Amino acid sequence: MDDQLMTERRVDAHEIKITARGVQVYYGEKHALKDVDVDILANTVTAFIGPSGCGKSTFLRCLNRMNDTVAIARVEGDIRIDGEDIYDSRVDPVQLRAKVGMVFQKPNPFPKSIYDNVAYGPKIHGLARTKADLDRIVEESLRKAALWNEVKDRLKESGTGLSGGQQQRLCIARAVATGPEILLMDEPCSALDPIATAQVEELIDELREKFSVVIVTHSMQQAARVSQRTAFFHLGNLVEYGNTSKIFTNPDDPRTESYITGRIG
Amino acid sequence: MPNSEHIVSGFDRDLEGIQAQIMRMGGLVEEAIARATEALETRDGEQARAVRDADRAIDALEEQVNDEAARIIAQRQPIAGDLRTVLTVFRVSTNLERIGDYAKNIAKRTETIIESPPVNGSAASLRRMARQVELMLKDVLDAYIQRDVALAADVRARDRDVDQMYSAIFREYLTFMMEDPRNITTCMHLHFMAKNIERMGDHVTSIAEQVIYLVTGDMPDDDRPKQDATALSVGPRT
Ligand SMILES: Nc1ncnc2c1ncn2[C@@H]1O[C@H](COP(=O)(O)OP(=O)(O)O)[C@@H](O)[C@H]1O
Ligand SMILES: [Mg+2]
Repeated sequence: MDDQLMTERRVDAHEIKITARGVQVYYGEKHALKDVDVDILANTVTAFIGPSGCGKSTFLRCLNRMNDTVAIARVEGDIRIDGEDIYDSRVDPVQLRAKVGMVFQKPNPFPKSIYDNVAYGPKIHGLARTKADLDRIVEESLRKAALWNEVKDRLKESGTGLSGGQQQRLCIARAVATGPEILLMDEPCSALDPIATAQVEELIDELREKFSVVIVTHSMQQAARVSQRTAFFHLGNLVEYGNTSKIFTNPDDPRTESYITGRIG
Repeated sequence: MPNSEHIVSGFDRDLEGIQAQIMRMGGLVEEAIARATEALETRDGEQARAVRDADRAIDALEEQVNDEAARIIAQRQPIAGDLRTVLTVFRVSTNLERIGDYAKNIAKRTETIIESPPVNGSAASLRRMARQVELMLKDVLDAYIQRDVALAADVRARDRDVDQMYSAIFREYLTFMMEDPRNITTCMHLHFMAKNIERMGDHVTSIAEQVIYLVTGDMPDDDRPKQDATALSVGPRT
């Protein structure tokens, strides 16, 4: 891995992948996300941190319209990916989610073979015309998820038989298989042991080459290790957003410092 | 930086503990400077010897502080202001230990030069210069414990006076040596002592910079022009 400051500086030149302006989310009466403005860069790992219930997952789910599936949720504001309004009525949320992949806290492979877990998305999106095409996508995806060498001889075995860390990388392979440009990860390591966590973190750093990665994490050390940009949320507000090394060495807002140093707010 | 308490109260105790040790070290070092220069002025070999012995306590404290700070890093993984507190402890303890070494070196030279007759008027200006550094050290320790950036900046500025005093002393000793070659050995020792005090001032300045970093997160970057006339003269360099 490069020196963190150098990496961050290089990232400065990356173009903006996601633009969010004035984003509000309500769950019924509850105002869960308040007027969030943020630009997320391409080929950059962006970490969302903040106390439980501050709206990190809510904002993450806005980015691939997962909130559409929550009946009482109402999203306002403007969110654009590569300049295109993802809430435009002409956008198909299913297509959008192929472009904006998501990995969840608990590894959730389908109760199917390793192969089918990865092949499922490309199949339903019609990304492979032949069996050979599909084989290639499965292999590439598993390679990108740093899992190929461990499973190449047992692709027919069930995905649920893998270790927790392998299952999570399988879910990453599954998300990668539909050819997304953005990967959203909601606490992807919280159910993993330290070794599996280290492998996933290493993977996240590699994924940055091809994807814009947004990761929600409760581990300050993890945010500091894997990301180049960090956003701190508090009570539904985006309090501070900036270079990770700045946030973790000398944050501007006292609320950020209290939270990351484990102080009573 | 927020000074509210940590949720884990042991962390607060850890951070307070290492800072208290820094203050204890600082106290010992202040005393070492004062006693070393007094021993020089009063030509008191016994006191010089005592200063040398006392340096061991300073070295031991430095080791303790560094072990403790390393443990805190491993155990608590401090970040932001907490991290700066721990990093600063490492650096300040090193600075203090070095100042202690210079005081010890002055004591050692004192034991040597009191074997020869005194060079009239030579110790007084050294004493003045040491007094200046001692006051700077006292102020910088206050600035450290009170997180007082203005006071730290003031200390930093005052190091220029020490540099000027050093240049003046250097010229004074050159004169003594030219007046009477029998003064040369003693004056060489005195000159090295002056250089030691000048270096103490640099370490105090470095502590002042650490205080500024601790509070603001940024090191002061405007270069202080070094006032050292001897750089242009021919003379023993250390
Ligand atoms: N489906 C939902 N229905 C109602 N309230 C919700 C729902 N999801 C989240 N919330 C509320 O919105 C706020 C933000 O939640 P969330 O985005 O999950 O926070 P985080 O991920 O930061 O822990 C919380 O107060 C939570 O209770
Ligand atoms: Mg969440």
